[in-house]
Amino acid sequence: MPMKGRFPIRRTLEYLQKGDIIFKNKVKIMTVNYNTHGELSEGARKFVFFNIPQIQYKNPWVQIMMFKNMTPSPFLKFYLDHGEQVLVDVEGKDYKQISQHIKKILAKSEEVLQAEAQAKMQASNPANFGPKKYFHRECICEVEGQVPCPGITPLPKEMTGKYRAKMAASQE
Amino acid sequence: QGSIELSTMSVKHVSVHARWIIGKVIGTKMLKTAKVRVTRLVLDPYLLKYYNKRKTYFAHDALQQCTVGDIVLLKALPEARSKHVKHELSEIVHKVGRVVDPLTGKRVAGTDFVEPLTDLEEDKTLSEKLQELNISAASSGADSTPPQPPTS
Repeated sequence: MPMKGRFPIRRTLEYLQKGDIIFKNKVKIMTVNYNTHGELSEGARKFVFFNIPQIQYKNPWVQIMMFKNMTPSPFLKFYLDHGEQVLVDVEGKDYKQISQHIKKILAKSEEVLQAEAQAKMQASNPANFGPKKYFHRECICEVEGQVPCPGITPLPKEMTGKYRAKMAASQE
Repeated sequence: QGSIELSTMSVKHVSVHARWIIGKVIGTKMLKTAKVRVTRLVLDPYLLKYYNKRKTYFAHDALQQCTVGDIVLLKALPEARSKHVKHELSEIVHKVGRVVDPLTGKRVAGTDFVEPLTDLEEDKTLSEKLQELNISAASSGADSTPPQPPTS
């Protein structure tokens, strides 16, 4: 069952990850009111069809609700923290214009996103060892070219701790 | 090994997870409490398509002004009011049967307006309307500076 339906590319992980609207932390709810018929709602309909999955994928904690045929004019409404509301009129606009506009007013800018990515990279150093849950490697024996795990192949006698201790004791 | 501790001091006093939610009222039979259904989009892991997943919340509605079918914005209470009620009614976004178009402020029924839009008076010419404006600006008081004429 590979690709069924109109524009099945919308249902690929690559398409979802390509979404570039990441809302600021204060945006909590997004509401889209649009109509199922009519030229003026065409942009809103396409926006819902193409861009909403991308937005929801990138903003899993924002509640997105769609309302159809409630008002004659299509609009978007954002509910921010502290009770602030933003109304965006999308009558007659193209879906690309709508997403550009939203990106300009309510999304995190490129610099903020890059700063966050940098901070995340600095917080986790890939060279560290530790439990599988937090780090890539648990022990240096996993790396190619290093001494293999003594649990699997025994170490040569000269490298064992008890031989070295015996040698150190016999020398003194 | 690394158990992450959640310090309750740094988190703001809200101990409820969902701060602001929007949903539809499905029941008002309880005293001063509205039963609200909230839908969130959840990705199906195999189809990679978003579907609405429902969850019901109870909201405190002191004035009992909700009817079944209203679209309602809920705000999280700082502390849970009872075992189930953790939100209160913030505002009714769309009242059922009395939906108001936010752009014009007029009542709306589906995709039509209830009253036809007649705010434009067609019988007056533009110059007459401008004369009216001039008269009102002059009579309104000397301390306010006269408005700049718009540059065309």
